[in-house]
Amino acid sequence: MDKPKLIYASALSATLTAVFVTVLTIVAELNPAVKDWLKSLSGHHWTSKSILSIVLYIVAFGLCYALKHHIDARKVGISIKLAIWSAVLGIIVLLFFFTAHNFGWL
Amino acid sequence: MNLVEIITAKPVLIGLHLGFAILAIDAFLWLLGEMSQTPRKSRRLRLAALVGVIGYIVSWLAGGYYYVKFYGALVKPIIKAGEAPWVHNIIMETKEHIFLFIIPLAVTAALIAWLKEEDWQLLNIRRPSLVLTGFVAGLGLLIGLMGFIISATVRWGGGA
Repeated sequence: MDKPKLIYASALSATLTAVFVTVLTIVAELNPAVKDWLKSLSGHHWTSKSILSIVLYIVAFGLCYALKHHIDARKVGISIKLAIWSAVLGIIVLLFFFTAHNFGWL
Repeated sequence: MNLVEIITAKPVLIGLHLGFAILAIDAFLWLLGEMSQTPRKSRRLRLAALVGVIGYIVSWLAGGYYYVKFYGALVKPIIKAGEAPWVHNIIMETKEHIFLFIIPLAVTAALIAWLKEEDWQLLNIRRPSLVLTGFVAGLGLLIGLMGFIISATVRWGGGA
């Protein structure tokens, strides 16, 4: 196993997962039909988001690992930074969104 | 009462959720310390990373089961009818979703812990790796703080 490539694939997939969870959560809150669809998948919207996020992470991990042939040190470093920043931004966006939703700003 | 009934009882689920989250946070803080050493000790790094990832997975499963099975029916109505419904609307809603960021980040940090010393030196990723590992522990602490706010609201802010 190419360990630097594993780290790169995992970090990029973690980035994608954070973006996916953030976007899907906001879209589902604003569109009852999407939330109902999520509920219909597993019985609870959160369970469906959990399953979809893990499936996405695993599939993206496999694809990133398989499709990229050469990963240099710079790309590994950038992928780790992307993973951190996507999570930080995801937290800020979700916190702001639910605050705005609570106070009726949206 | 069989083992499944004991494990899925409300106080046991909360204990597992909190206990394994604390274990995971401690393990990632330990991993942060090990990662900052030169040279790194691979056995300790891998043990800390493994304990951390397993801790977060068990905490996620126990907390998720409690949330889906009991929170909506028993806890949420108390908060929504109490003095601080915003605690569910803002804190719980944010908490349940940002938890989903943790496992992929924790696995990424664990993969870094599995690097051989020569690859670690060659990749020159010490700084982002330390930030990532500290962030995984910090995110666990933030979620723990949110959990405390939710529990405190049910105890003291539920209008009882």
